[in-house]
Amino acid sequence: MSSTDNVQSLPVLPLKNAVLFPLVLMPLTIGRPNSIAATEAALASEGKDLVVVAQRDASKEAPALTDLYSIGTRAVIKQMARKSEGTLEVVLLGVERVVLLKLEQDGAYQTARIKPLPLPQEKSPEIEALHREVADLAARALAFIQPQAAEELRRLIDASKEPLRLVYTLAPMFGLELVKEQALLEAATVADCLRLMHSYLTHELQVLELRNKIADEAQSEMSKEQREYLLRQQLRAIQKELNGENPEASEVALLRERLAKLDLPEEVRKETERELARLERLPSAAPDYHVTRTYLDILLELPWKVATEDVLDIASARQILDEDHYDLREVKERILEHLGVLKLNPTAKSPILCFVGPPGVGKTSLGQSIARALGRKFERLSLGGMHDEAELRGHRRTYIGAMPGRIIQAIRRAGVNNPVLMLDEVDKVGRDFRGDPTAALLEILDPEQNRNFRDNYLDLPFDLSKVFFITTANTLDTIPRPLLDRMELLRLAGYSEEEKIEIAKRYLIPRQIKEAGLKPEDCVISDDALKAIIAQYTREAGVRQLERAIGRIARKTAVRHAEGRTEPVTIKREDLVTWLGPRRFSPEQARRQLPAGVATGLAWTETGGEVLYVEATLLPNGRGLILTGQLGEVMQESARAAQSYLWSHAEELGIDRDRFRKYGVHIHVPAGATPKDGPSAGVTMATALASVYTNYPARADIAMTGEITLTGLVLPIGGVKEKVLAARRVGIKRVILPRDNEKDLTDLPDPVVKEMEFIFADKIEDVLTAAIPQLGEHFAGVSAAV
Amino acid sequence: MSDTFDRMQSMFDGAIQRSGEIFWRPAADIYRTRTGWLIKYDLAGVRSEDIEVTVLGSRITVRGMRRDWQLEDGARHYSMEISYNRFERTLELPCDLSGTEVEIQGREGILLLRLTCQGDIP
Repeated sequence: MSSTDNVQSLPVLPLKNAVLFPLVLMPLTIGRPNSIAATEAALASEGKDLVVVAQRDASKEAPALTDLYSIGTRAVIKQMARKSEGTLEVVLLGVERVVLLKLEQDGAYQTARIKPLPLPQEKSPEIEALHREVADLAARALAFIQPQAAEELRRLIDASKEPLRLVYTLAPMFGLELVKEQALLEAATVADCLRLMHSYLTHELQVLELRNKIADEAQSEMSKEQREYLLRQQLRAIQKELNGENPEASEVALLRERLAKLDLPEEVRKETERELARLERLPSAAPDYHVTRTYLDILLELPWKVATEDVLDIASARQILDEDHYDLREVKERILEHLGVLKLNPTAKSPILCFVGPPGVGKTSLGQSIARALGRKFERLSLGGMHDEAELRGHRRTYIGAMPGRIIQAIRRAGVNNPVLMLDEVDKVGRDFRGDPTAALLEILDPEQNRNFRDNYLDLPFDLSKVFFITTANTLDTIPRPLLDRMELLRLAGYSEEEKIEIAKRYLIPRQIKEAGLKPEDCVISDDALKAIIAQYTREAGVRQLERAIGRIARKTAVRHAEGRTEPVTIKREDLVTWLGPRRFSPEQARRQLPAGVATGLAWTETGGEVLYVEATLLPNGRGLILTGQLGEVMQESARAAQSYLWSHAEELGIDRDRFRKYGVHIHVPAGATPKDGPSAGVTMATALASVYTNYPARADIAMTGEITLTGLVLPIGGVKEKVLAARRVGIKRVILPRDNEKDLTDLPDPVVKEMEFIFADKIEDVLTAAIPQLGEHFAGVSAAV
Repeated sequence: MSDTFDRMQSMFDGAIQRSGEIFWRPAADIYRTRTGWLIKYDLAGVRSEDIEVTVLGSRITVRGMRRDWQLEDGARHYSMEISYNRFERTLELPCDLSGTEVEIQGREGILLLRLTCQGDIP
């Protein structure tokens, strides 16, 4: 048709940000006056044509030719409607590509002289391939944009047999940038156009895929967060429903309330408030929340300033102590002294006592009784086998599951800051690479330092100076000197037979009878029977075995009662075999006569005293000194010292020195399987050696104990009471003791002292004189000669 | 973003409904007659000199142009729905139309084409 071939003049409609492609319908709202004028002019024409051209710069309201692209599209107005605000709504149909030759101002609008610019029609395999590729890409991209219309679009794309038509219909669907759209319109050949479209679509597809991915992720992220938020809200609502308010806040409020009611040291109050403020800010799900919560609980529970009032009535205290324990004068006096001091000086530091003695003598129960007498709370903790300093002092709060140390926990249990705190088995504290708890004990048991005892967990100073510490031990050998130094030692020696009978009658029998559910008159044990039980069924320094034996009798009586034989029982000595079975221990008997070279010694063990014999024998043609019987180093050394002493004093003792040269000597101390150690057998060894060298036997009715020096002095030893009682048990009535131990006889019950004969020795001569009669005569002769 | 989307949406709709024809298509009714075919085109306001009919094989094409005209001085469009400018409509009939005699007649805005077939009517 002629109009498409020729140069034409048509009104120009400049477009911002858009390109109208041929074959494409475009709805438009026209508002710019010159555009309205151009549209009006087109509407007034016969064919309703105009030229649509994109503007290079969207901001220009009245663009000149240079502001417009030179290639545009001839379009027909298909529909039109006026809007009330004076704008026009039109639907334009792109008809053909045109080139703008000249722009003329025609009143309010511009007209352009245009010439059609059709693309050369061509067909090639390349175009075919590009066409398919573009169709494919477009279908994939459109599936992202319009998933619901994907089917229809796919059909539309497949129906576009014409490559250009495909590009022109697709291009507006992707909202490409103006430059790109214009480039598509201006493409010189179909192939160029397809190539451009292909690259744009590839890019678009990537962007879409990426956007889709991001959207997916955002979606899942969002839904997860939303879910959690929702659940949290629900939880909060449930908690609110249950408690009436925010549980965390109420917990903090409760703690605050407790804090307000307590009387705390300033430092502690500050720390507590700081931690409370921290707790308030923490969500209850935070792991720190519970750590802080527990810490605060402990802080508020500790008796920082809570103390029991001491009962300062000395008479009643004495009564309580006497009620609970027989004898133990020294210990009771010490407690009463302290009470007296407290009465005059209430701020006095509590003493730190250490009870040393064999098992079963009542160390622990004495602690309880002291607490009762003073009117204080009693707590005990065993240090036996403890090997970690942190157990006493606690772990720092940074550790998971950290707790305060045992000391602070005991105080917390007691609920007051001045309990009687008994640390049992202080001699059995372990020490290894993991730590040394005794080092921590040094601080705890030092009245100068324990005023500000710092537990690692609390990290606040706690005043332990009001605590009445009592430690117990069976032996002092394993307690480090510095620790020993801090404690006041009180020895609880073993009990004599008389004391045991008293204890049994006053405490053990009533207690066991009560526990068996009997009345006191139901079961009576005669003194004679008690004595037999002590001698034949027990062998101990304390009274545990005795109590068990009594308990057994009481239970058997209870069985009889249960069987209906309710007549009271009196236990006599000869009945014991039926009640307790055959006797366990035969009464020890001292050897009646001793051959030369044997001496009777006394030993102290953790379970009480024992009689032991030192045997020495000469070995013809032998050499040196042989020691057997599991002797410890100290004991071996005292044997050597004894030998050296005799060697050096051979003349005075009337010993032929040749006997030393000709004979070796063997010393044996039975029982061979029991390890023995200590210096107190020194005099016994000296006596045995003197006896064997002189060939005079020692007296069998005399026992001895004492440490010797090379110059022949006799030094004091420990455990006098147990040793004397052991001698008495086997029927030996004479005991040689170091002179310095004379004072220890006050520990012994009076009947024992009266019954026994004591010989106090300053020098070895005194011992030998008393123990070996012939030597005594010899000495007497020598001194007479002098 | 939603603007772009709306715009795209309308593009799709347009694209799907009117798959990009340059010309508008007049509606047509086809009748069988004793002698051949009668086709009615809804082509009001089209001058007869602007209509061109071609027959090729079994296809018959009507194309042309509807030109608007000034009805009255000072009148201008308030709204417009009628398609102007070039139109084209190709119909395919179930018989070969070569040698068919075509008679064109305009009547009250309807274009009538009467095709008289030579020989047997299929």
